[in-house]
Amino acid sequence: MTLNKTLTLLLAGAAMTVTASAAMAQQTNLRVFVSSQHRPDVWRKAFDMYEAKNPNVKVTLETGGNTSEQQAQYLNTVMTAKDSSLDVMILDVIRPAQYAAAGWTVPFNEVIGKDVKAYMDRYLPAYAEANTVDGKVVALPAFADAMFLYYRKDLLDKHGIQPPKTWAELTAAAKKITEAEKDPNLQGLSFQGKAIEGAVCTFLLPYWSMGKQLVSNGKLSFDKDAAVKSLKLWKDFVDQGVAKKNIAEVATDDTRKEFQAGNVVFAVNWSYAWGQFQGNESAVKDKVGVVKLPAVEGGEPASCLGGWEWGVSSYSNNKTEAQKLVQYLSSPETSEFMAINAALLPAFPEKYTDEDVTKAVPWFANAKPVVETAKARPVTPRYNEVSEIIRTTVNGVLAGQQTPEQGADQMESRLHRVLR
Amino acid sequence: MTSDSPATRSIFSGRPLRILIGFILVVNGMFPALWILFTSLKTEAELTVKPITWLPHAPTIANYLRAFTDQPLLLFLFNSFMVAILSTALTLFISVLAAYAIARLQIRGRDLVLSAIIAVSTFPLVTLLVPLFEIMRALGLLNTWVALILPYTVLSLPVCTLILVSFFEGIPRDLENSAMIDGCTRIGALFKVVVPLSAPGVFTAGILAFVNAWDEFLLALSFNSSPTLRTLPVGITLYQGEFAFPWPVISAALVVGIVPVAILIVIFQERVVSGLTSGGIKG
Amino acid sequence: MATASETTLVSAPAEGATKWWTRFLDPSERTLAVLLLLPAAFLLALIIVYPVGRLVWTSFQNLSLTSGLPATFAGLENYALMLDDPVFWETTWNTILITLITVPGALVVGMILALMANLPFETKWPTRLSLLIPWALPLSFAGLIFAWFFHSEYGVVNDVLRRLGFEGVIWFNSANWAFAAICLTIVWKTSSFMALIILAGLQTIPRSLYEAAEVDGAGRIRQFFEITLPLLKPAIVVALIFRTITALQTFDIPYTMTRGGPGTSTATLAMYIHQNTVDFLDLGYGSALAVVMFLLSMGVTVVYLRMIRAKG
Repeated sequence: MTLNKTLTLLLAGAAMTVTASAAMAQQTNLRVFVSSQHRPDVWRKAFDMYEAKNPNVKVTLETGGNTSEQQAQYLNTVMTAKDSSLDVMILDVIRPAQYAAAGWTVPFNEVIGKDVKAYMDRYLPAYAEANTVDGKVVALPAFADAMFLYYRKDLLDKHGIQPPKTWAELTAAAKKITEAEKDPNLQGLSFQGKAIEGAVCTFLLPYWSMGKQLVSNGKLSFDKDAAVKSLKLWKDFVDQGVAKKNIAEVATDDTRKEFQAGNVVFAVNWSYAWGQFQGNESAVKDKVGVVKLPAVEGGEPASCLGGWEWGVSSYSNNKTEAQKLVQYLSSPETSEFMAINAALLPAFPEKYTDEDVTKAVPWFANAKPVVETAKARPVTPRYNEVSEIIRTTVNGVLAGQQTPEQGADQMESRLHRVLR
Repeated sequence: MTSDSPATRSIFSGRPLRILIGFILVVNGMFPALWILFTSLKTEAELTVKPITWLPHAPTIANYLRAFTDQPLLLFLFNSFMVAILSTALTLFISVLAAYAIARLQIRGRDLVLSAIIAVSTFPLVTLLVPLFEIMRALGLLNTWVALILPYTVLSLPVCTLILVSFFEGIPRDLENSAMIDGCTRIGALFKVVVPLSAPGVFTAGILAFVNAWDEFLLALSFNSSPTLRTLPVGITLYQGEFAFPWPVISAALVVGIVPVAILIVIFQERVVSGLTSGGIKG
Repeated sequence: MATASETTLVSAPAEGATKWWTRFLDPSERTLAVLLLLPAAFLLALIIVYPVGRLVWTSFQNLSLTSGLPATFAGLENYALMLDDPVFWETTWNTILITLITVPGALVVGMILALMANLPFETKWPTRLSLLIPWALPLSFAGLIFAWFFHSEYGVVNDVLRRLGFEGVIWFNSANWAFAAICLTIVWKTSSFMALIILAGLQTIPRSLYEAAEVDGAGRIRQFFEITLPLLKPAIVVALIFRTITALQTFDIPYTMTRGGPGTSTATLAMYIHQNTVDFLDLGYGSALAVVMFLLSMGVTVVYLRMIRAKG
């Protein structure tokens, strides 16, 4: 408030107060909300570098809650109450559209200038798409993420099998290996069947691979046949014994733990798992390979896009300074810095093959083709409702509460209520 | 402890039976806490062993070291304690006054007052999050203990008031009257006679208020975002990642959180029981 | 403000303030009653009544933040929407079912625990502690711990079943088993609350009553039903009211254990309210749901209070 007044006074040219208030205006305090699971300590260093270059800006870092969900609960409370204490916030990739629709973030178009398209084209295409709503750039990418297929390189080599390119190949490979290994604890495939956000990706992977979209041009474009096939694909894994019977209770980190304990041949998971698999407590250290997720027969491989974005709060008193900070945070330089120091995947395609990056995190070179084929989950303000419908259906079908056909029917009618 | 209420003494008797019953009680109440204790001594790898292990194979204190070094655990404990104790004190004070008014004084619409107090507690706190946030911000209380103490007091106020009403009603009026003849004011009689005689009720109400405040997560997360003001339930979530849920470290943090409360309960309950008996003799 | 004035009330020295006191005290009990109720009323007004007022007002509005539209008056539209919302009916039914199962369940278990804990143990603290520890375990983690206990592979429940020669159950794969696991957890977590209140009541029952009953030749069972139970009634009713209200608000345990799954078969009304408000940002509909839940718990409270008045 005082700052706004100060600016007004400055513009009015009230010479009397200029000197006094200029001293005040020089110092801008920005409060940035950072997700505490994404190395706030390294982000702090990035802020320090910004402060060094911009002595009139002071950045305070704030964290709260340790999962995307808890952070959303916290931010939703703060923003619903129109609180001005936060200037910049990091948002899970599924949220910018929602925040923009609620009027909680300010678009970047003006600060970017005339050539918005060229500016956004620097990023991986999926991120340009996920952060643009009706031509407005509502947030800028912080870092990327995607789902990968992790596999046991040692076991595949032992049985002379190539990493699968289709889900059918994966089924055959998993069966061959588990039958030959005769280890009752070894399961073929682990994925997320619990009613969590990951289950949305579970559903979408084969659905996208069939070339279908859930939302096109803001309208629901639900393909029921593809939905049935997708649900059936996952359910068949359970019925054929490739995946465990209790898959409906498996969450993301369960997949990671079981693979890490050496109990899984193939696993669908995000990029964070790689670092854990290579840790000292891991039973599969140096035995892990990572590739693109398989495609359906005759389809294109597809992965689910993750990652986080920077948004500037509409209730901020320092929007201009905040947007400048975000442009720095979303620059190729910061992206590279975070890749090297925090192992966060860059949102810029060229950084994956950058020498400094590949030296620090060699596996990023393998990650590039995966991230490039990753698709954004539907960009809609009502994404949370869409997500809830999909994940409960996937969970219900995998638990055997519904057939894939019933599940797809239910999904269609409920999605129609939300997206029309 | 000779003053045991005979309510059940007469139903069960015999030492072996008593020991068996004690054992059942302890297993029922303590099992999850013990399980957490065992887990806190295991490595993460041991948790994915099949079939599962009960006692840790190779006990390690590494998880405790991590629990203390990764996050300021003692600070979380301190905040939780202060918030819980202050809100318990405030709750007890306010509900003793209110309960006395309801139980003893001739008020018209006594049932209405009681219903009103209960009624307000029937609103799920979750739904009041945003308006409460606005109130706290308007009062400038965000990121202070008070921002939590006030709602926690309200959270426990109805149940504590109702418990105390039922206890106060059981205290013979004669005792209070004789104290007032001895020169006590009505308020004096309340705090010198009625409250001590209702010690089990006050203790119960206090424990409920303490635990309600100790447990609460959502408001603590939303109102006190500053790292120096985090309470234990919020702090413990910081050990988990977006996907990772490191049970051994979280278990260690939970154990550290449970032990002081357990000690407090043990000390507190002995005092209250002895206070009760001496008060009873005097009365 | 309220607290400050109350402090002076209590700590006022007897001599100096006698006149001031007597003016308020002896002539009019009503004035004293109002003074005593004032701090409670003030806090409740600030923390509950005002926010609830806003909530009720919001429930009559079209206010979905994700629509990007300004709030408009909607009358009863939000309430009408509920009628053909299958998830509303399912979650309401689940909530009622959880209440009907866990409240009597916790009462019976809590009564047994209280009677057991009231035995003359040589050392008391282990049993007392056992009653209180379930409470001291933060609710947000109790659900997670029990979800882990009921895990089909790494859970201790199935481990015990297997050791006893049974087949393990995949608890969260079936609506019924998941529901059972949730109810068991709630009963465990809340029976100690019941036990605590009942135990406090047990301790105030005078010994002389039992001695008199023994003289009359009443057996132990008869003593329980004729002395213990009737004298415990006020304590039990208190415990029941609050257990029922909290049961109607059940949120944390199903939220952390199953997320309402499989499908929405274990989701509760409070979870649905939370979802609509915090996740979907449909404040209008969420508020209307909360008002319905409030009416539901009010109804229950009125019934209980009638019970007290009728028999007490």
